[in-house]
Amino acid sequence: MKRTVALLSLLTMFTATAVTAGCGADADPAADTVSLLVAGTPDELAAYRTLAAEYEKASPGATVALIEASSAKDLMTRVSTSIAGNAAPDLFLINYRTFGQFATKGALAPMTARLAASGSLHDKDFYPQAMGAFRWRGEQMCLPQNISSLAVYYNRSLFTKYQVPEPVAGWHWNDMVAVAQALTRDANGRTVRAGEPETAGTPVAVHGLGITPELIRLAPLIWSNGGDIVDDPNAPTRLTLDTPQARQVLQDFLELPKIGVVPSDVEMETQDHEARFAAGKLAMFVSSRRVTTAFRAITGFEWDVAPLPQYQSPANILHSDAYCMTKASSHQDAAWRFLEYALSDPGAALMARTGRTVPSRTSVATSPAFLSPGTSPARSQIFLDTIPTLRAVPTISTWPEIEDATGKVLENAFFHGDPLDKVIADLDTATRAVFQRGTAAR
Amino acid sequence: MSRDRRQLLLMLTPYLVGLVVLVLLPAAATMAMAFTETDLIAGSRLVGWDNFVELTGDPAVRAAVGNSLSYLAVSVPLRLVLAVGLALLLHRRARAVGTARAAVLLPGAVPELAYGLLWLWLLNPIQGPVNQLLMLGGQGGRTMFGSLPPQWLTDPEDARAGIVLMSLFTIGETFVIVLTARLALPPEAYELAELEGAHAGQVLRRVTLPLLAPVLTVLVVRDTLLSLQASFVPTLVVTNGGPPPYATTYLSLVLYQDAFEYLRYGYAAAVAALMLALTAVAVLIQWRLLRRWASRGLVGGQARLPGN
Repeated sequence: MKRTVALLSLLTMFTATAVTAGCGADADPAADTVSLLVAGTPDELAAYRTLAAEYEKASPGATVALIEASSAKDLMTRVSTSIAGNAAPDLFLINYRTFGQFATKGALAPMTARLAASGSLHDKDFYPQAMGAFRWRGEQMCLPQNISSLAVYYNRSLFTKYQVPEPVAGWHWNDMVAVAQALTRDANGRTVRAGEPETAGTPVAVHGLGITPELIRLAPLIWSNGGDIVDDPNAPTRLTLDTPQARQVLQDFLELPKIGVVPSDVEMETQDHEARFAAGKLAMFVSSRRVTTAFRAITGFEWDVAPLPQYQSPANILHSDAYCMTKASSHQDAAWRFLEYALSDPGAALMARTGRTVPSRTSVATSPAFLSPGTSPARSQIFLDTIPTLRAVPTISTWPEIEDATGKVLENAFFHGDPLDKVIADLDTATRAVFQRGTAAR
Repeated sequence: MSRDRRQLLLMLTPYLVGLVVLVLLPAAATMAMAFTETDLIAGSRLVGWDNFVELTGDPAVRAAVGNSLSYLAVSVPLRLVLAVGLALLLHRRARAVGTARAAVLLPGAVPELAYGLLWLWLLNPIQGPVNQLLMLGGQGGRTMFGSLPPQWLTDPEDARAGIVLMSLFTIGETFVIVLTARLALPPEAYELAELEGAHAGQVLRRVTLPLLAPVLTVLVVRDTLLSLQASFVPTLVVTNGGPPPYATTYLSLVLYQDAFEYLRYGYAAAVAALMLALTAVAVLIQWRLLRRWASRGLVGGQARLPGN
């Protein structure tokens, strides 16, 4: 009995010591320590580490505690649980499509006053399209780190080999489909039509086009055709994919598998678009700037980017992440000082050199740090040329759910050929209640 | 209180404290949360039965209940049959039996995430070894029977079968328990059966299974309790709930997505309550069936040895 009591006492003491030690480590962080929560690829995370190190070098006494999340979704979870646990990071980086959940709940510290009083950061330093995406009820809630959009990555070597003219600004959706047909080839270089395993004849060696069936891929095409994806961008209550403009785009999009230019769902599960393009098995791939870093490792062929095709007028979709400051942060001044460095010319240039982002700071976006002459893609300028045509999706707290719900319906329709009316009705059914639950942030 | 009881209580205290603090209190908090709208950012708001009403009309939840129950109905019996079969096959001393037992145990020792990623490769529709094996002897990308190989990640039925297939290799724990129980059975019972001239099938039906029945009962209940959660990692890693819309969406995945991706902790708590209720109902049905069989002498203590 005595031995048992002694053992239990020892265990209790050990546990108490460990808990006390743990508390001590977090109890009193230095006033100039900033915690920054980010998610990204290994290249991006390495760039954030460099950014933190450079900031510490430039600001003696300041430290940055970098918290690395495994994915954007993991980052969302960490932010919400850390706020609930009174251990919120001072800063975190988030996409404008998901920041609504935090803005509507009052979890963010507005930056308007700090920006107005800052000696080094000014509203006019940034592209207004990116700044606007993070504004809520007149307040600048976060400061954009990047401003990306969709582009068509293409295998220039294949275009040259099969003597297909390279895409030019202003090309139509139908032009892209025609090029995709011309570049869908078998192993002998003959044009073929891709299809399901049951119906396909000759195996396809190169598919003409890779594009994921998602609402954020359809949106710029619908805008380009004069339509819209929701009834009221400021306070959306439903999708408006039943308009003639949206129907035409949706129909054209869902016909891609029937035309036989895109990989099937089975092929997609075997190798995704990004890997397929990098392996030289995809002639064109619609994506944002985020794939550039990985593609710069390609050595087997030449590649470049082309503008997104259009219908009636040029249009593109905003892809942007921003630094947000939590309202619960007890180091807001220190966090702001870090932001002033991270978004300055040297700080923004560090991130631009990863290739993954289009800087939100105009002076860096137009500098060699981003345009990087002599490095692929040669036509990086198209990401800047498209900025005036950028539009944002609505800022509503339930937007991530809407994207997931529409993604399921669209993927099913894309690969299994559901009738257009059913697709539109299913999209509406899947999202109507989610819109009602959401709070519009602007 | 006697000295023995005091000692017993003292030894149980750490477990009881852990049970209350780490299981019962969070479970009670979760049940309370099910009646609120909680996102962990702003304050919670009481919403009464709203979350439960929403559950009834949620297509993801409806699909997940069906998928979870079918997984339970298929996976639990198959896992048990496989574990019992292997335990009975490997309980005798024989050449390489130790290696075979280790092989049965090994998949259960692989971390769940690594196990899921491994199956993502195994079930790859074109390059995966499973389909490569099935296509041996076939022509034009078909199996030797002329059919297309299963589309594990893109066909709803095949994807559900894939998730069950993955569960069949993590039976190590059940296998060890059945093996130990079999080794502990009295040899006299088998000697008697041999004297009576019972053949192998009769021995299995009249001796082995009735004597193992109490252990098997516990294992069935335990596997049922775990099965609603066991499908989580495979679906998150391998199928992500698809093929769309909800072919392999199980309740555990719905709970995870609502809580951690959409920050709807109150609604996710209601899904947790639903999972608990479904598990309780499943266990209750099994319990009543087993009691009925036991009262008829089909399983458990009333089973009789041959010749008695």
